[in-house]
Amino acid sequence: MNKRIYILFTILILTGSVFGQFVGKDNLSISLFYMQKAELDSAKKYIDLSTTDDNLKSTAKTWYYRGFIYKELYKKREKDNKTSPLRLTSIESFKKMLTLNGKEEFIESTSKILKYEASTLYNDAARLLDPKNYKTAVSNYDLFRSTMLLVNPNFDLKSRDVKFKLALASMLNRPAETSAGLDSTRSYQIKKLYKEILSIDPNNSAANYNLAILYYNEGADIINNMDYDMDIMKLNEVQDHCIEIFLKALPYMKKSYSLERKGKDKRKETLIGLKNIYYGLNDLEKSEYYERELNIIETQESIERLNKQLKAMEEKGLKSSEEYGVSKTKLKTLELELQTLQNKHKDLEKE
Amino acid sequence: MLFLSSGFRPAGVDTNSKMKAIFIMNFTKLIEWPKSYREGNFVVGVVGESPLYTELTKMAKTKKVANQSLQIKKFSTSKDIGKCHILYVSKAKSEDISSVLKKVKANSTLIITEKQGLVEKGAGINFIIKNNRQKFELNKKNVEKYKLKVSSNLEALAFTVK
Repeated sequence: MNKRIYILFTILILTGSVFGQFVGKDNLSISLFYMQKAELDSAKKYIDLSTTDDNLKSTAKTWYYRGFIYKELYKKREKDNKTSPLRLTSIESFKKMLTLNGKEEFIESTSKILKYEASTLYNDAARLLDPKNYKTAVSNYDLFRSTMLLVNPNFDLKSRDVKFKLALASMLNRPAETSAGLDSTRSYQIKKLYKEILSIDPNNSAANYNLAILYYNEGADIINNMDYDMDIMKLNEVQDHCIEIFLKALPYMKKSYSLERKGKDKRKETLIGLKNIYYGLNDLEKSEYYERELNIIETQESIERLNKQLKAMEEKGLKSSEEYGVSKTKLKTLELELQTLQNKHKDLEKE
Repeated sequence: MLFLSSGFRPAGVDTNSKMKAIFIMNFTKLIEWPKSYREGNFVVGVVGESPLYTELTKMAKTKKVANQSLQIKKFSTSKDIGKCHILYVSKAKSEDISSVLKKVKANSTLIITEKQGLVEKGAGINFIIKNNRQKFELNKKNVEKYKLKVSSNLEALAFTVK
């Protein structure tokens, strides 16, 4: 019996000492007390109570600490959760704080935390860019944007927007590389993204080129899937429709050509694109013009390769070998071929 | 963090040849060959190098002209030309039109070309481009002199009829 009384007495003293120190203190102070002791669950409990307390819910301090505590909880528990509710609540709390009087003393720290949270959102958005999760990636990216703009409403996000949209469009286009191909909804979605990119950066070479290809492929696919038994009336209708599509592709591919995309392979891609679009438009002369330019690049590449081979043979002392002689003759033929192509190209340019 | 992969490649379709092949399929329905030509294979010949040969060969794998199987033949020169229902003279061989005509004069052959002015020089049908569209002009007399009958529908669909 005595033992029981002793235990009860001890419990009363212990609990009394904890609650004793909170007598007369508000929920915010209690929350801060727990926060300092790194007892985040208790800190969260009291900070949430503070946000419904008439005396505390309109003070910047309450919302700042709520944002801070939830951020700490996110770091501790939901770092790998790409849709972390704790991070979201933290951002929302800071957002609320920024609307209240007395926010000034917390602005610097808030900016740092928001920038940190925005960077985690951006990274999560990038990691989620796959066919299954891309919608979440877009939400995360939108949240990254709005968070950055909370920090600084004049923050320039153009290059980030372009980068993200390019990556998203590229990911959405993946079925085009398989036999599944793109359905019309997906194709529309990707085109919309490229148009958004071009409204931000009209000289974006990848967006210009890819958008042109999307349009061209749309028309080419229609033609490819036409039945040989289609009657001429219908054929004429389809032809009109495809010409309209090819005409949509043309300005983007021309822009890509004028931007002189870096690297020979990219230049070749654009030339193939122009050659095909003009061919689709039944403008065979222009199609040939770009084909010739493509041939010039390819012949130049062959000459470069051959020159390297000859040099290697010379270094090995094989200058008198039969193989060297054959390569040397081949080189002369290619150089002549190149000259002819260049002349023809110049003639076409004049025309 | 963000990775870009191109993956954007133009579709490998010969758009112009596909259109021409569909036109040719229509011609087989809108032109009537003499009875003796309605058995055996339906032969379409291509004179000279043309991407249309590949497209027609593709078409022949799945299509027939009435009950006749389609057979596509390639002739390098006009000398090699044999009996055909349709003979397509590629642009590169347009200059050989008179020798082509001599070669087929005893047959019931529809001669199709793709060079301006050839319907005046003996071709029955000539492919032309108008406003970026593939069209055709028809010379009814040149078709009928090979004992072929032209449907009025074909006349209506031609860009010009001579």
